[in-house]
Amino acid sequence: MVQNLANSKLKERREKILRRYPPKRDSLLYILHDLQDLNPQNYLTSEDVKAVSEYLGISVGEVESVISFYSMFSRKPRGRYVIRFCSSPTCHLLEGPRVLEELKKLLGIEVGQTTGDGLFTLEMTSCLGACGVAPAMMINDEIYGNLTPFKVKEIIESYRKKGK
Amino acid sequence: MVSLTIDGKPIKTKKGSTILEAALDNGIEIPHLCYHKGLSVAGACRLCLVKIKGRPGMVASCLTEVAEGMEVIAFDEEIDETRRLIVELILSEHKHDCLVCEKNGQCELQDLAYRLGIDRVRFSVEKPNEELDNSSEVILRDPNRCILCGRCVRSCAEIAVQDVLKFANRGSEMFIIAGLNQLLAETDCVFCGACVQACPTGSLTEKLARFQGRSWEFRKVRTTCPYCGVGCQIELNIKDDRIVKVYGVEEGPENKGHLCVKGRFGFDFVHHEDRLTTPLIKRNGEFEEASWDEALDLVATKFSQLKQKYGSDALAGLSSAKCTNEENYLFQKFVRVCFGTNNVDHCARLCHSSTVAGLSRAFGSGAMTNSIREFEKADVILITGSNTTENHPVIGSLLKHVARYKGVKLIVVDPREIELTGYATIWLRQRSGTDVAWINGLMNVIVNEALYDEEFIKSRTENFEEFKKVILKYTPDRVEKITGIPKRKLIEAARMYARAKKASIVFAMGITQHITGTDNVLSLANLAMLCGNVGKEGTGVNPLRGQNNVQGACDLGALPDVYPGYQKVSDPKIREKFERAWRAKLSPKEGLTVVEMMNAASEGRIKVFT
Amino acid sequence: MRLYRSHVLVGMDTFTLLAGARKVKEHLIRQIEKRGLSDEIKVLETGSLGITNRGVVLLIYPEGCYYVNVKPEDVPEIVEEHLLKGRTVQRLLFKGELERKAVALPESPLDVRRQSRVVLQNCGVIDPENIDEYIGRGGYEALERALFQMKPQEVIEQVKRSGLVGRGGAGFPTGLKWEISAKVASEEKYIICNADEGEPGTFKDRVIMEGDPHRVIEGMLLAGYAVGANKGFIYIRGEYALSIQRMEKAIKQAYEYNLLGSNILETNFSFDLEMRKGAGAYVCGEETALIESLEGKRGEPRNKPPYPGTCGLWGKPTVVNNVETLANIPSIIVKGADWFRSLGTKETPGTKLYTILGHVVNQGVIEVETGITLRKIIFDYGGGMKNGREFKAALVGGAAGCFLGKDMLDVKMDYTTLKSYKAVLGSGAVLVMDTSTCIVDMLRCILDFFKRESCGKCVPCRMGTDRLYRLIVDISSGKGTKDHPKLMLELAQMMNKASFCPLGQSVLLPLSSAFKYFEDEVMEHILDKRCPAGVCKMGEK
Repeated sequence: MVQNLANSKLKERREKILRRYPPKRDSLLYILHDLQDLNPQNYLTSEDVKAVSEYLGISVGEVESVISFYSMFSRKPRGRYVIRFCSSPTCHLLEGPRVLEELKKLLGIEVGQTTGDGLFTLEMTSCLGACGVAPAMMINDEIYGNLTPFKVKEIIESYRKKGK
Repeated sequence: MVSLTIDGKPIKTKKGSTILEAALDNGIEIPHLCYHKGLSVAGACRLCLVKIKGRPGMVASCLTEVAEGMEVIAFDEEIDETRRLIVELILSEHKHDCLVCEKNGQCELQDLAYRLGIDRVRFSVEKPNEELDNSSEVILRDPNRCILCGRCVRSCAEIAVQDVLKFANRGSEMFIIAGLNQLLAETDCVFCGACVQACPTGSLTEKLARFQGRSWEFRKVRTTCPYCGVGCQIELNIKDDRIVKVYGVEEGPENKGHLCVKGRFGFDFVHHEDRLTTPLIKRNGEFEEASWDEALDLVATKFSQLKQKYGSDALAGLSSAKCTNEENYLFQKFVRVCFGTNNVDHCARLCHSSTVAGLSRAFGSGAMTNSIREFEKADVILITGSNTTENHPVIGSLLKHVARYKGVKLIVVDPREIELTGYATIWLRQRSGTDVAWINGLMNVIVNEALYDEEFIKSRTENFEEFKKVILKYTPDRVEKITGIPKRKLIEAARMYARAKKASIVFAMGITQHITGTDNVLSLANLAMLCGNVGKEGTGVNPLRGQNNVQGACDLGALPDVYPGYQKVSDPKIREKFERAWRAKLSPKEGLTVVEMMNAASEGRIKVFT
Repeated sequence: MRLYRSHVLVGMDTFTLLAGARKVKEHLIRQIEKRGLSDEIKVLETGSLGITNRGVVLLIYPEGCYYVNVKPEDVPEIVEEHLLKGRTVQRLLFKGELERKAVALPESPLDVRRQSRVVLQNCGVIDPENIDEYIGRGGYEALERALFQMKPQEVIEQVKRSGLVGRGGAGFPTGLKWEISAKVASEEKYIICNADEGEPGTFKDRVIMEGDPHRVIEGMLLAGYAVGANKGFIYIRGEYALSIQRMEKAIKQAYEYNLLGSNILETNFSFDLEMRKGAGAYVCGEETALIESLEGKRGEPRNKPPYPGTCGLWGKPTVVNNVETLANIPSIIVKGADWFRSLGTKETPGTKLYTILGHVVNQGVIEVETGITLRKIIFDYGGGMKNGREFKAALVGGAAGCFLGKDMLDVKMDYTTLKSYKAVLGSGAVLVMDTSTCIVDMLRCILDFFKRESCGKCVPCRMGTDRLYRLIVDISSGKGTKDHPKLMLELAQMMNKASFCPLGQSVLLPLSSAFKYFEDEVMEHILDKRCPAGVCKMGEK
């Protein structure tokens, strides 16, 4: 019963997002962004894919194809906070790897994994355009720069508190 | 025509061709893997690179249009080295199990590797073995042999227009996905096998043919598919007198290499163990095997006896719309000459008899007025009473294709929501049985808005004034009441059909299988004539017939009321003609139709049924 | 208008906001109010002040001095000492090199007054969220002039004569690009601003959009007018949250002032502008891949020809310009082509934004006339090598760029000159490396980038980037053989000839330039299984 209620609420929210955009092909990326942001696990479900497919009149395979092309989208559940750590030359040159090691130790996971408590997913990303404060990372929509092993510890702690 | 040279050889080719097309047409085999005739060009494999004098670097010949006086270099050391490295890279990841691969001997990758002399493969990478997708009964997917040429993706999108197979991920993580990353059988795949035919390697193969024969062991026979009225051209691959697999013939104008699941995979009935291998005669309530001589003697004797005893009209024969023209001709001649009756009919009675009756009256001939390929030339196609993608899948795919890729507008008129309604510009949803009304409604709008083809009507038709009187009664308001079609949409559809330069009508059982079936057909014929859409390329009235030779069975006279060529049995002069030709006395009485035959048989009036 | 005796500009860009710029601003306003100075001193938000990596940055006029690493607790002191008593707070002043004495009128290398700021003329000076300030500094004057005094063809002529070339990396003459689309007869045409800035080491477009969004809008309007387009899109990468926010606000304001929409400034010219977000694909910075992405598809490049100019978005004539390119247009229209030509080099006149990053004292974005040398960038504006270390190499143009060694320090950095050296300027990113850097390690990072970003459409790039990465990993983990460099060059050369688009074609650049300068270092990894800089973990996968 509760599950049904949750499902129908989700369906409602999904419909609302779809209606925000005209049912044309070029609305696809924006619908996907919004649908993914709606999900606390930061990913797109099969229901999302089917709903988009029907709304835009394109096959599910086509939707999957587009989703899997772009690195910001995920079809697998992720943590509440998606950490995207920059792997590009500037951040790499300015101690990025050292900070990354610290981050991995703090979280206890490897790149591509999610922490057991479902809070954090660690991903590598290409240049974020935050090179002025390299090494940098993004956690969901926030950018963090001038990272040091110490700073990264502070940041994770603050998110852990928030997560409770 | 455009003149150019390729490696010094002068070539003449159509304007708008690509360099690769021009080369292949002239016997210059520029290596390629992702290019496939009939599909859009990807330019992804980069094997077809050539040099053009006056331009820096190399260009893909599949993507470059020819120009007058172009000097192309298709083969030189640098290009050769580039091609070899590309093929080497592809091989470095490919599963090397040619020994058991069905494509061994006709694999395009194999051919290239041999041709380019790739005798060493560097950059080898150990990729984890992906599981085979064995879910479908007829198609086997082996992702390990996939070279990501994209031909299956393009076939699925452009030929079958099903959009099941797509590229997923990017870069070296790329793979081919089916639907929601499912097994093939779980997706919307209709198993037409267009992807299998397009695949250059053994990644997509016919499951039933697995381990059934090596590519060089097959005898190939070209024939027509035994299923529906599209009449796809197929190529049987036969080993030891068994059909192992079927290809679509690329040159076949109806299908251009495309087939549906029935045509491509539905041949297992041919060698089914349940089929008879000898005649059987029932003796003492049990069927016993007999020889042909035995059987034929028995049948001939019995027929003669019964004919003597009960008269010719107690005998009847049912021909087949799945037999050849020759067989149908022979059969109706047999019934007429030997049985002495006109009790011959076949299944067309049950499907398109309305069409034959209607179009014979309107045009003099009960058949499709235009050819299947001409759907590509139409601007508007009106489809009614036909769930084309289900019953004539190859034509259904063609209709989807022209709607999506060629800008052809589809008007679908059907009470059901069928697949084609998703591709339709206008979908009119009428109440069942109200077809004459909506067709007249369309014509009402066309007449009122003077959108009809005056010239055509004047020179090619009769009774326009009488016709107009009736049509004017079918106002959009009235038609809406009768049919349930909103008048706004009716008007829109009418204008779309009438304003098109070339508009075609497609119909099937939804129009014919009514009490008013013949009237329905006549109305459609009127609609076409009203707008001059007869006798021109890309237009016409096109009934989609059921069996693969129902047209032939009709044409060759396997009907109770006409001789071959639709010549009336009741006409003494015509009967005389046939009596002379066949040197026999022929019955002047029209024969029973198949339904009447069944009733007569149950009442005991028919004693022989063959 | 009130006359203030002092202005305090608070740099509000992605980096300073991270450091708490908003809080500092709040404190400033409160303190100033507390001291009863609100009538005399104005606190303003502005875009990037040109100094990154130094916490919250303030610029105080009329002295024109910069305070860096300002914390909220420093505010009372600044207000008391500087604003009230006129004494600069030495400890917070922006210094050049460590030994240099802090001065009130800084000789600091990133001092904006020593740059030729055309594109960045408003950045750090105006409040980017206020259209009136843009207008107050001459904004939309170019649009006015074009609409009322010039024909579209004249606008094109002006841009052509100016010699402006694309600032995104390809360096194609902008006027010519516009002319191609202008010549096509079509009801629908489009202007696309390429704000997908993905080249590693590049964030100049971010600075422009965060600091002066209206300049970009004006550039697009001028392009639209010149070409005959009535619709524009700004394709901006999904990660640039603040830029998106500022541009959206600016667009909204422009609509309110009838500078966008129908009948702009009551002329016949209408132009609608929309923001569109990307979703994480470097390849979408390539114009045809960008168009595919805008159309809602995978960002795979299209074949050229046809070029977007004749057949682009939805098959219509489309002009795709980089943010920086568009930001140059208003000044060209107002000040004229001759003025633009008077700046920089003859072949590629004007100014260029360079991003200085890496082992230098001052990191950030500068705008200077084209033709500046690498030496000046590093040792003058960049403040020299950090910690007094020795210069090893600079990676110019991002990952798809070129390693330049000591011998190139005095070469002019513009598109044509670098091309003649078989190098590229690209986006103008300059990553400076000292001798603690391992080139093999940097190469590994670069090749990892290409492998990750390859779209996968064509065989050479899809497989080539993967194999190149594996080979460099071999080298950096001590498994390299002496065939490795040869194999890598063979692959990269083939990719350069055969790849579908510039991504695959450009991998040869960083690879061959690295091998050219640092062959010994590479061979040491291979033959001696040793990393001279001590970075690569030999024997690890």
